[in-house]
Amino acid sequence: MAKAKPKTKTENSTPMVKIFIMGAAHEVPASLTIMKAIEYAGFKITRGSGCRAGFCGACGTIYRKEGDYRIYAALACQTQVEDGMVLTQLPFVPAPKARYNVDELQPNASAMLKYYPEVARCLSCNACSKVCPQEIKVMDYVQYSLQGQIKKAADESFDCVQCGLCAIRCPAEIPQYHVGMLARRLHGKYNLKAPENLEHRVKEIEDGVYTEAFSELMKLSKADLKKRYTERDFIDQKKA
Amino acid sequence: MVQYSYFPGCNLKTNAKGFEKSAVAVSKKLNAELVEIPNWNCCGTVHTMTSDNLMKRIAPVRVLSRSRKHIEELEDSPNEVATLCSMCNSTLKIVNKEVKVDEDKLSKINYQLEEDEETYAEDMEVKHFLEILRDSVGYKNIAKKVIKELKGIKVVPYYGCMLLHPEEAKIDDEEMPSVLEYLMESLGAEVIFSPLFKFCCGSYHIVDDETIVDSQVSKILQDVRVKGANAMVVACPLCAYNLDYQQKKLIKQTGEKNPIPIFYFSQLMAIAMGEPIEINHFEDHQIDPRKLLKELKLEG
Repeated sequence: MAKAKPKTKTENSTPMVKIFIMGAAHEVPASLTIMKAIEYAGFKITRGSGCRAGFCGACGTIYRKEGDYRIYAALACQTQVEDGMVLTQLPFVPAPKARYNVDELQPNASAMLKYYPEVARCLSCNACSKVCPQEIKVMDYVQYSLQGQIKKAADESFDCVQCGLCAIRCPAEIPQYHVGMLARRLHGKYNLKAPENLEHRVKEIEDGVYTEAFSELMKLSKADLKKRYTERDFIDQKKA
Repeated sequence: MVQYSYFPGCNLKTNAKGFEKSAVAVSKKLNAELVEIPNWNCCGTVHTMTSDNLMKRIAPVRVLSRSRKHIEELEDSPNEVATLCSMCNSTLKIVNKEVKVDEDKLSKINYQLEEDEETYAEDMEVKHFLEILRDSVGYKNIAKKVIKELKGIKVVPYYGCMLLHPEEAKIDDEEMPSVLEYLMESLGAEVIFSPLFKFCCGSYHIVDDETIVDSQVSKILQDVRVKGANAMVVACPLCAYNLDYQQKKLIKQTGEKNPIPIFYFSQLMAIAMGEPIEINHFEDHQIDPRKLLKELKLEG
């Protein structure tokens, strides 16, 4: 995080809380999210921020609270500050990410163990599930992966935003979020039926059905394009 | 219907699917239904001999706790977790006994399980499905469900190490076990004794030095052939793997003309009780048992 020009404090009656960002105390409005509080304190977040809506998983944060021995973890954009919070951002987690060709695999335990043999070291301590900001039962999906129950692993890990907080807490050094990704890829590729409409549309594109219309659009001026956009309708003229 | 909270273990979902499916199928016929724990984790194998390594004991205690919760949803369920894999059975049994006699150990493990609301209250017993068949169902009731006697099957029961050792985990007498023998007799099979009934199959050496497994397996099979048996019955997925996979390899090397199919006890039960043959997943076996079953007109 690079230090940017601090904001000037506005006069208002907003209740303030004291938080510690990487050890330094800052007074911030109590209503802010951790992310906004970091910016309020004068930091410019260059890494560790993305969608600001809880979907991208870029803003993993770990913190402790005053008088509490526990380590907490959260997404900075989704969590409100609390008085006495001691926090730091974890914009990146160094976790081994296997390279594989999903077309050459089978949806079974061997595929999981080939690329992520660490899953066999799982101690079932559940530290990963406790840290997950998405409240996913991470340990359970690691276990399903080990058991070759790919569908259950894919379903259980479905809400993962790849923040990587699980991987930093694991005593068995498993990169859980990459394991879940492999499970979902295997499930999507081999267990689920390919969506018919998608296949149909991709074929249309490949057959050049839209080539002419696209090249016409590409030639339009900005003004003409705007006009076409505002006048657009969604009714298929051919079918109507 | 009496229902048991059933802990599969990883092998039953990967290398030993036929073991699980046949066991579940016959369990329903015998009023002792195996119902899988919905969110089970690893049993914690291999059991650690380091007595203060509590981390390695969290997994088995969590299994006991999840199983305890599971039985609340079941019908007439005793406080027992049923296992099929010898290794899981052993690990779970040993740890269960350890924490029952060592309060300090249990409270330290429970401290890790507290936040998940999965603490364990020492109120479970671990039972191998064979124990349930012997002690709760009874051989007579099994024999009553047999619709196709296994005439012509001359089977050597092979226990391996984990069902009979150590003391804390054994399900039968370690010198003169009888559960597989009585079970096979109640299905109408001819039981043939081999003194190598618990001679090590080579176990986990399969992953680092196959030659050790080959030497063990060839001795075991040699005795089975000398005794005139045409099948072996086992309860352990690792024994089954070694005896089946390595036998295939040895046959290729030696040109042996007399392959010995390896059955899980539940597969032979399923055949005798007229279950559809597909549930046994015989296609996963290296030595295809369907050849013998066809010869004896037992495959349909």
